[in-house]
Amino acid sequence: MSQVLVEVSGMSKRYGRVTALDNVAFSIRSGELLGLIGPNGAGKTTLFECLAGVQPADHAQVLFQAEYRDTRRRSSVLFYVPDGIAPWPSQPVQRALEFSLDFLGGPRPLYKEVIADLSLGPLLRVPIGNLSKGQRKRALLGLGLLSPQPVLLIDEPFEGLDLRQTREATDALRKHVLTGRSLFVSIHQISAAAKVCDRLVLLSEGRVVAQGTPDELTRLAAQKLGHTPPSDFEEVFLALTG
Amino acid sequence: MRSPGRAWWWLLRKECSELIDSRAWWVMLALIGPLVGVSFIAATRTYAEASGLGGAAGGLADALWPLDGILVPTLSAYEIAALFLLPFVAIRMIAGDRQSGALKLELQHSLPSIARLGAKMLVLLAGWSIASVPALIAFAEWRAAGGSIYLPELGSVLLGHLLNAGVVIALAAAAASVAEHPSTAAILTLAFTVGTWVLNFLAAVHGGLWERLARYTPAEMLQAFQRGQVRLALVLAAFAAIAAGLGLASVWMRLGVSVRRRAAESIGIVAAASVLMFGCSRSRTDWDVSENRRNSFSESDERLLKQIQTPLHVEAHLAPEDPRRFDLERQTLSKLRRSLPHVTVRYVAATSSGLFEQANLHYGEIWYELGGRRAMTRVTSSENALETIYALAGMPPPKEEQAEHRGHPLVARPAGAALIFYGIWPLLAAGVWIFIHRRFV
Repeated sequence: MSQVLVEVSGMSKRYGRVTALDNVAFSIRSGELLGLIGPNGAGKTTLFECLAGVQPADHAQVLFQAEYRDTRRRSSVLFYVPDGIAPWPSQPVQRALEFSLDFLGGPRPLYKEVIADLSLGPLLRVPIGNLSKGQRKRALLGLGLLSPQPVLLIDEPFEGLDLRQTREATDALRKHVLTGRSLFVSIHQISAAAKVCDRLVLLSEGRVVAQGTPDELTRLAAQKLGHTPPSDFEEVFLALTG
Repeated sequence: MRSPGRAWWWLLRKECSELIDSRAWWVMLALIGPLVGVSFIAATRTYAEASGLGGAAGGLADALWPLDGILVPTLSAYEIAALFLLPFVAIRMIAGDRQSGALKLELQHSLPSIARLGAKMLVLLAGWSIASVPALIAFAEWRAAGGSIYLPELGSVLLGHLLNAGVVIALAAAAASVAEHPSTAAILTLAFTVGTWVLNFLAAVHGGLWERLARYTPAEMLQAFQRGQVRLALVLAAFAAIAAGLGLASVWMRLGVSVRRRAAESIGIVAAASVLMFGCSRSRTDWDVSENRRNSFSESDERLLKQIQTPLHVEAHLAPEDPRRFDLERQTLSKLRRSLPHVTVRYVAATSSGLFEQANLHYGEIWYELGGRRAMTRVTSSENALETIYALAGMPPPKEEQAEHRGHPLVARPAGAALIFYGIWPLLAAGVWIFIHRRFV
């Protein structure tokens, strides 16, 4: 089993009377593709933003290689790609990718490879504001993959992509995981998550209800239901979050 | 992670691109030409008329100075632009990152927020400087027509406008960072501007503390520079205001910090800026860079006044809105403060306008007290004040100097000004904008 890279515990966040995250705890291992799944409003985006330090958590302990990291020092080990953003809309895609290389100091040798993997070549001179939802998502994935931090968090990496593009993006993400990088992605398509991810964290109403490999979660669901394991992973999800 | 220096350099280049792609900036650039044109053409016409065009009196022409007649009116276009155009350019650049989600990406670098804002500030000031080109064209036209420009005066007015722009940008940055939406930021910025107008109104009506506070509003601050007076207190106060605005903006840009902590830090910044500005206001260092030394007494008077070490107390029975009080302040007291080491001024008035105090026998009296001796006069002119002070000090007045400073009357109509400012400049701005944006079409 690969070593634990990031360990999160006691992460809580409230918006007024609403509890968005309640004592969340999980870990990210080195060189794994970890999925975060949960129903709408489960707190997936809040979890990512609190972890990346772009919004304050009420309480959280984040360790990187067993060393405590406050919000400021987390930025050197974690990079978060939010969903639904169109950063610097008047700037061409090329400049957005240069953000990862020149601003964050990402690996320049990967530049051409990432552009090829995500078919970004024809889009390089197009302003981000002019891209379709799927094109923008690919550009954001490229930006994330070119970042230098060892752990990459991506909110809904396949949102807006068609089947072919989803496969391309999955392959690109997998390729980066093989280099030893850790990816933590939130996916609302449950069956897709089970196919793509090594392990999954199930979040429901701000709480981690289960975590493990798809097989482990299937067995857990079977125990809970008291009969043979469900054949469909959506049934597993419903059983564990119900 | 990339070193802060290299990351900042990327940011600076990105901000330059953002400015060039900003429609708000191009609109400002296109509009500034006609604004400067209207001001400049009207100013040269009035200057020509006062200089004798159509048979004006020769005495009036001798008192004409390009500072009042050309420089200040032409650059007044930038006062309007700083109030109603520049804030939107700044808000667009600062709030845009938050709206588009770019801020969430940029915040994930350890680069301090203040450095990020510094890049924006620099680029915005560069954008403002480019927008100053029409004014420079106007002054070049004036020179070509035979007009005179005294460079220190021009420098003083330009410095005033630059500081004013800096304060506006810093304020807009603070508003854009605090508010969730650019429209709210625009309302906050305009509310601040209206607030300074209210402060100026209160100062005019009530005087006292309001008057002292109003000296640091952007409009009042600019007026000192427009008189050719560079006051260190104002320059430092402007820098303190800029630092406070950027400080507030950087605090509220840090989305990952709790609102309570950001609020506490904001209170600290406002308190520190207030103390700093109060400290700045104590500075009496200033430079009269006007060609005709309009903010100073004659050199012989200044030499003589410097010998008076006893504190001078002035008590003026004049209401805040009385025009004589304005004359006294402008013609006499401001010059006395520059020449004498210890001057205290006390205004006495029961009403704001003074209209209903005229029946009071003491209304209009101006008392000068020096070394226990007192004298009263009702005249506000500097000549009379100096005469009174010399008499109190027991000093003979200096020999009258020949009037050294004569104005620069000129009857001139700068050629092609209307074509340049109303036609060529806006078309040029629109043409360059189209050319740049065709890259992506």
